[in-house]
Amino acid sequence: MIVRDIMTTRLITVAPDDTLAHAASLFRQYGFHHLPVARTVSLSLAEQAEGHEQRKTALLLQGVLTAQDINMAAAVDRSDEAGAGMWQERRVAEVMHRALIRVTPTTSVAAAAQILVERGLDYLPVVEYSQADQENRAILVGLITRSDLLNALARAMGAFEPGMQIDIALPEGDMSPLTRTLLLAAELHVPIRSIMAAPLASEGVPHSATLRLGTIHPTPLLLRLQREGIRYSFGTPQQEGAPIGGGEKHG
Amino acid sequence: MADMRHRTCLVFDPAELHYDFGPGHPLQPGRLKALMDLLECSGLWRPGEEYTRLPLRAATLEELRLVHTADYIAAVQRLSREQGDGSDEERRERARLALRYGFDDGDTPAQPGMHEAAARVVGGTLVAMSAVLGLPTGGALAGNERPLHVFHPAGGLHHAWAERASGFCIYNDIAVAIASVLQASEAKILYIDFDVHHGDGVQRAFYDDPRVMTISLHETGRYLFPGTGDVLELGRGSGRGYSVNVPLEPFTEDDSYIEAIDALLSPLAASFAPDIIITQHGCDPHAWDPLAHLSLTMRGIQAQIKAAHALAHNYCGGRWVAVGGGGYDLYRVVPRAWSMVWAEMSGQQLPERLPDEWVQRWQPAWQAAREEEETAQQVMGKDTLPSYFPATFLDRAEDFPEQPRRWNISRTNRHTVALVRHLLLSSYMRQAFPTARQRSPLAGLFDLLHMNRDTAPSRSKMIQTEKGPILLRDFCPPSLVERLRPDSGLKAFARLPEREHQLLLGIAKSSDSALTLAHTPSGVIVGQVTIAPADEWWEGIENVYEVAIEVSANWRGLGIARHLLAFALELDALEDMIFFAVGLSWHWDTEGLGISMYRYRELLAKLFATQGFKEYPTTEPNVSMEPANVLLARIGQRVDKRTASKFLNRMLSSPNLARI
Repeated sequence: MIVRDIMTTRLITVAPDDTLAHAASLFRQYGFHHLPVARTVSLSLAEQAEGHEQRKTALLLQGVLTAQDINMAAAVDRSDEAGAGMWQERRVAEVMHRALIRVTPTTSVAAAAQILVERGLDYLPVVEYSQADQENRAILVGLITRSDLLNALARAMGAFEPGMQIDIALPEGDMSPLTRTLLLAAELHVPIRSIMAAPLASEGVPHSATLRLGTIHPTPLLLRLQREGIRYSFGTPQQEGAPIGGGEKHG
Repeated sequence: MADMRHRTCLVFDPAELHYDFGPGHPLQPGRLKALMDLLECSGLWRPGEEYTRLPLRAATLEELRLVHTADYIAAVQRLSREQGDGSDEERRERARLALRYGFDDGDTPAQPGMHEAAARVVGGTLVAMSAVLGLPTGGALAGNERPLHVFHPAGGLHHAWAERASGFCIYNDIAVAIASVLQASEAKILYIDFDVHHGDGVQRAFYDDPRVMTISLHETGRYLFPGTGDVLELGRGSGRGYSVNVPLEPFTEDDSYIEAIDALLSPLAASFAPDIIITQHGCDPHAWDPLAHLSLTMRGIQAQIKAAHALAHNYCGGRWVAVGGGGYDLYRVVPRAWSMVWAEMSGQQLPERLPDEWVQRWQPAWQAAREEEETAQQVMGKDTLPSYFPATFLDRAEDFPEQPRRWNISRTNRHTVALVRHLLLSSYMRQAFPTARQRSPLAGLFDLLHMNRDTAPSRSKMIQTEKGPILLRDFCPPSLVERLRPDSGLKAFARLPEREHQLLLGIAKSSDSALTLAHTPSGVIVGQVTIAPADEWWEGIENVYEVAIEVSANWRGLGIARHLLAFALELDALEDMIFFAVGLSWHWDTEGLGISMYRYRELLAKLFATQGFKEYPTTEPNVSMEPANVLLARIGQRVDKRTASKFLNRMLSSPNLARI
C-alpha cells in the first residue's frame, strides 16, 4: 500500500489571501480540523516546450491552517480590547503553518504512519515536485490524515465486507499453518476477506494470524482444520467477552 | 389483548421449496416441509381452509429494483438459467458474475431456477405486508377480508445486499416489501430481527431513512458472521437513531435475553410509533443451532414471539407481519419455533406434546444427520448437549445446564442494553420505561429531594400568562395525571397525544422519578419537567439527576418554561445534588419554532442558566456526536469535592463505551 491508494484527493483548500472568517465557515461547514493552503497557478510544462507551450493549472502548497490556529487568533483578539472582532479580517497567510513535513504519493503507508505518530501530527500534505518555469515547485495532490489511515486499517481487516473472524495459531512464528489454511479455504470455496499476521510489539514474529472468512457456514473448513491439526480459535482471550474455543485451544 | 375476531393468514406455497441450494447445504427446504406437517398434525392449521390462507405471487422485476440494482438482478437471472452451450467463454462469464455478485462461495452457490424461487419468496413477504396495510399490491382485499397478522415462514432473507448475494440470501424479501410499502403509502415501519446473525441487509437498505426503524438482536459480530451490528451503528443523516443493534454475548441464555427484550422493545416502539411491525424469527439463537453460539431454549424464543405480538397490539393496532429466517437445526428446532409463531399469531393454545406421528416421521431425518450435527457443534466450540429428539413443544430446562460464565455474560449484556437505551432513548422515554435498578435505601425520590419537608407532598402554584393562568404542580400523583390531558403540542414522547398521556402516567407512578406539570385550569397539560436519577452512563457517582423539560409548541414564548423549571427545582436538597440536562439537536422541534439549531441551543442554555446551570464540554457519546448538542449542569454547593470532580471527570472521560 502506498499513500496514493488511501489519501484524500477531493480537496477543499483556502488561499493565502482568504480571510480567517472564510476559513472558519469552511471548518464549520465540513467539520474539518485542517485545511491545506494553496495558490492556484498556471504552470508551463517544460518537457513539451517544442513549438507551442502547454500549460496546466495546479495547486501550489503554501501551508496548512488548522482549526486551532483560528481559535488562537480569536483568543488573542479577545484579550486585546481594542482589536475585538478583528481576527475575522486577518489573512490565512498570517496564521498558517508552513507544513514542511510532506510526503509524496509513492511514499509507503507504513512510512507515512510512522511520521504521523513520531511527530505527533494529525495530517500530512501529499505533494508532487514538479520542475516548472525553471523552479522546483510542490504541487498539492492530496492530504493524508489519521482518519485515512484508520479507514485503510479497517478496510485491510475486512470491516466493510460481511464475514466472520478466526485466529490461526502460528507456533514459533511458523507460517505454514496459515498457508495450509489458505489452501483448504480455496479448496472448500470459502472466500478470504482479509488476512492479518502482525508481530506483537515485543517480539519479532507473529504468533497468530487473523482471518476474515466470507462465510456464514464455517463448519466444513473448521472440520478440516481440526483434522489437519491446525489450531484455531475465535478471537483471542480478553477479560470481557472470552473467546469461543475451537479445535485444540491456544495456550 | 388478542382479539380473535380478526383474520390471521399463513403464506406458504409449495413452490417456495425450490429455494434450495442442494444436498449438504445447511439451509434445507425440508425444514419447511417439517413445519407444515407439524402445523397440520397438531391441528394448528388446516390446508383446506381458505380463510387462513393468503395466496402469493412472484415479485416483479420492478419491485425487486426497489432495493436491488438492475445489474445484480440481471446477473441472478443469467446465473439462474441452465448452462447454455458450455463454451469456455460462457463458463468464464458465469464465473465472473459469480465472483462479482457473491455467488462464488459455498454459502450461496448459483442454482438453476434461483431467480424465480427467490422472487417468489420476496412476493410472499410483499403480499403479506400489503395485505395487512390494505394496499392494492396485496390483492385489494375488502375491509373485513383484510388480515391483521400474516406469517410467511419462507421469508426472512435478511443478508442480501442491494448488489450482492450473501449468507444464503439472494433477494432481500424484507427490504423489498418494506420499500414497496414506503413507495405506496405514508406508513412508518418497525422491523425487528431476532435472527442470531445481524440483519445487515435490511439495515443497509434503510440506514438513512427515518421512516424505517430496524432493531436487530443478535450474537455479537466479534466472531460471528456478518461481523457487523455494533451498538454504535445508529443510522446515518436523518436516519440517525433509527438503526438499533443489540449485540449479545456468545452463550447468552433465556433470562438475559428476555431481560434485553423487556428493557428495549416497548420504549423503542413507543417512541417510534410505527404503523406496522414486521418481525424476523430466525430461530438460530437456540442452543442446538450448529451455526452460532447463543444458548436459548424454546422458552426464550416463545418470550420473543409473545413480545412481538404484544408490541403489535400496543403500538400499531395489531398490524403485524412475521417471517422466518435462519434456523439450521432443521427438524428439532425450526418446526417447533415457527409453529409457536403461528399459534401465537392465530391465538391458539399450543399443545404440550408433539404429535407422535409427526415425531415418527421426522425423527429419522434428524437421526440421519445426527453425527454431522454433533461434530458441527464441537468444531464451533460449543459443549455437547444431550442429543435426543424432543417430544414436547417447549424444551426441558434440565437438558440445558447453566453456562459456567452466566453471571459475566448477563452483566455484559446488561451493559450493552444500557448503552442502547442511553444512545437511542430520550430521557423521557427512559424514565417512562425504567429498567429494574438497585433501589436507593430511602423510599422514593421525594424523600431524597425533600428531606425537611413535612407539608403536603405535592405543591402547586399559579402563574399568570398572556394566554391566561397556568397551574404548576410538582410530584404529580397518578390520580392527577389521569384527570388531565396533554396538549397536542407536546411531542417529547411519542408524537401522539394519547400515548403521551399514558407515558406521563407511567412516570407519575414511578417512585424513581418526579413529574412536575404545568396545566391550564381546564386540565390541559402544556408543559412538563421530569427529574430522575441519571442512567447507567453516570453509574457510581452519587446524587446525579437528569432534568428534562418540554413546553407545548402552542404555548411557547409565554415564560412558562422559566417558571416551570424554577418551580420544579425548588427543592430542599438542591445544593446537595448534581443536576444536569442534555440537549440533543435531533430531538428539537426547530421547524416548529422557526429558528436555527444553534439559536435553539442558546435559548436552552439561557433557560437553564436562570437556575445556575452552566454549559460543560463533554465527551458523553450522545452529546459529542453533534456540535449543536449541549450538556448543562448544576453542581450544588454542598456537593462534596470528590463527588463533584468525579462528575467532571466522567463528563470528559474517554468515551470507552465498553466501560458502562
